[in-house]
Amino acid sequence: MNKNSVSARSKRFYIIGLILLSVVVIAFLVSLFWTPYDPYTTDAASKLLPPSAAHPFGTDNFGRDVLSRVMCAAKFTVFISVAGVSIALILGTVTGLPAGYFGGLTDRFIMFINNSIMCFPGILLALVAVAVFGASMFNVVWALGLVFAPTYARVYRSGTIEIKEYDYITHARVMGIRPGRIMIMHILPNLVPQLLPATVIGLANMTLFESGMSYLGLGVQPPDASFGKMLAESQAYIRVAPWLVIFPSMMLVFYILGLYFVSEGMRVSFTKGGGS
Amino acid sequence: MARHIHVVKVHHLTLSFPTRKDPNPKPVLDDVDFGIRDGEILGLIGNSGSGKTMTSLAIAGLLPEGARITGGSIKFQGEDLLTMDPKARRKMLGSDIGMIFQEPSTALDPLMKVGKNLDEVLVVHGIKDPKQRRESIIKMMSTVGFVNPEEIYERYPHQLSGGQRQRVLIAGAALLAPKLLICDEPTSSLDTVTTVQILDLLKDLCRKLHMTILFISHDLSAVRNFCDRVMVMKDGKIIDKDTTSDILNNPKNAYTAELLTSARLDPRMLGIERAHVDYSSSPVLTAKGITAGYRDRGFGKSFENKVLKGVDLEIYPHEILGLIGSSGCGKTTLIRSLLGLLPHTGTATVSGKRTGAVFQDPVSCLNPAHTVKWHLNEALRVYEKKLTNEERMAKIIAALEEAGLNEDFLLRKPHQLSGGQRQRVAIAMCLIMNPGLIIADEPFSSLDASSSAEILKLLTDINRERGTSFLLVTHNIHIIRQIAPRVVVMHDGKICESGLTNEVLSNPKAPATIRLLDAETKLHGA
Repeated sequence: MNKNSVSARSKRFYIIGLILLSVVVIAFLVSLFWTPYDPYTTDAASKLLPPSAAHPFGTDNFGRDVLSRVMCAAKFTVFISVAGVSIALILGTVTGLPAGYFGGLTDRFIMFINNSIMCFPGILLALVAVAVFGASMFNVVWALGLVFAPTYARVYRSGTIEIKEYDYITHARVMGIRPGRIMIMHILPNLVPQLLPATVIGLANMTLFESGMSYLGLGVQPPDASFGKMLAESQAYIRVAPWLVIFPSMMLVFYILGLYFVSEGMRVSFTKGGGS
Repeated sequence: MARHIHVVKVHHLTLSFPTRKDPNPKPVLDDVDFGIRDGEILGLIGNSGSGKTMTSLAIAGLLPEGARITGGSIKFQGEDLLTMDPKARRKMLGSDIGMIFQEPSTALDPLMKVGKNLDEVLVVHGIKDPKQRRESIIKMMSTVGFVNPEEIYERYPHQLSGGQRQRVLIAGAALLAPKLLICDEPTSSLDTVTTVQILDLLKDLCRKLHMTILFISHDLSAVRNFCDRVMVMKDGKIIDKDTTSDILNNPKNAYTAELLTSARLDPRMLGIERAHVDYSSSPVLTAKGITAGYRDRGFGKSFENKVLKGVDLEIYPHEILGLIGSSGCGKTTLIRSLLGLLPHTGTATVSGKRTGAVFQDPVSCLNPAHTVKWHLNEALRVYEKKLTNEERMAKIIAALEEAGLNEDFLLRKPHQLSGGQRQRVAIAMCLIMNPGLIIADEPFSSLDASSSAEILKLLTDINRERGTSFLLVTHNIHIIRQIAPRVVVMHDGKICESGLTNEVLSNPKAPATIRLLDAETKLHGA
């Protein structure tokens, strides 16, 4: 009811979150066109240099510029999380909506498959998939998308079950509108307030998974960089060259924390007094 | 304690919802000043948004966050409630001030048995002995008219009907024998027969337990035989205050008179004209032997719970057919079967044109995510796919105007509309499909008197001008009497009586009809 404090609070979350996120997103956008140095060129003469004017983030054990590497890693991390969540969302939509809308056998069948996927630890399933089909960015994306899909399917299903009882859906049925259209045009828009925060949180979790897999060597493959990959490579030099660890992890924290703040802002602003 | 003439004295109360942008908004309650006398039943009447509920919440101390009382005081037996310590005030709730709300279906915890729900009240107010608690609950349950209190004690809320639940809530509110009982539209979601029973019960409790009641309602007729005094509210002000008979028979205020006229739904005052019905033409809808029910699956055994037992129905062109019956008689199930939403046996044939539907609840009848224009377009595109944009807009605007709205509403979303306006949009959605029959399920029951009078006029206009037939389901017999030439009475899944409205209602034969009419007379007067 108290819209003042609610909107002020959600605004604070949005501002902090968007500032943190923009650091990573700007790095990602700039890296598409320009990086200070070529992130893949090794240079034995300038290896493990501490941060300086020429190399603001220092250089790594192959003499590659860490700033350029970080920008490049932002590209892969953002791409994998967005692509993975998109796949999960699409799979969640096509399974969760019909499960909730039709109920009965359809529901049982779809939810049986979804629950079966959810039985296994997500990271394990993704690791197995990548181990079987080979470690490549493409495989990481679809494996993570598949692992995350049941979470969204559940959000869709429970929301649909609630909304399909409302008179406006009954009315749409009376008018003779086909189930597919009812689900997409009538039910889906009403699920957005629940889905958006879940999507943003999904991006954050996806990034954590991806970092973990890259760290284990099953994610992004060298010479490409991702934050997790960079952490794994720099582990050995943590004492001699701490900047190798600090900058990638800082970016990772910015990205994930930024996403959490934004989703919290959404959650607060969507749940204020009945949506009106 | 000194005895006071007034249990509650509200003194020049002003309340508003200030925001940072607008620190001095239009007050929701504007200089409200009244007293509730000891032992009386005071009615508070007004259209939705007039501030009735805010008044009651202010007395109970349950105001929503953001509400600021900017002036005045509320005294309960001489003590100022607004300056009181919150802890002491909370203690007063329940023991001194009880409250009953409109929706009995959500007011009880569904996971707790009825007895446990009531037990909670006593525990909170410090009665330690479980035996004593149980005894007083059982006693109160029989006071509120349960013949089998022990059995009800062990049931879950979903196993009770709406009227029974409202009784349980009243029992819960009366358990601590509060001096003041605030009833916020306690009967709005109940049918006529149950309404009369609940009102009788409240009146009885008022006498037996020496309670004072503040009764809030948008239905003027409900206060007729119930309240001692009535106040009328409009735009946050109390504009009229008098004894019930003076208000009802001899209103001094123009607005009160207008409310009364709307409540009476006089066809001449509203300019309602009936359409001529030709009973020799072939029916728009013919239903034969409609049987429907729900299947309960138990362990090993499965049995069918029949809600409809072979219903035959015919609706003629230009006709408004009234369908009445008490709650649970199968009216809604019949409608859902006719609309093809429920599996049923028997045949329902609609000749010619399409069937439209208008539902009871104006809140959920429109999709909150979409605009008015989208709703109408969606209804249009189901049947008319090959239209240019201009043709579409022309049709949409024509339907809106016919339903009494205009172009300004096109881009509004449902939450920017009032209940009556939403119901109009729902009707416009039916009209745009050019239906031969509109099935209307209690379209008035959630609207206040003025809006329902307007919607009623709209429906009869559509009936007369377009020749659209209506199947009108309602528990308001008064409306049926005014506009429906023929009526069907349902009881226990069967049609127990049907015929011309005048004949059925003046000379009822079935016991169910007689019960309905008795309740009607008691509630609204002869």
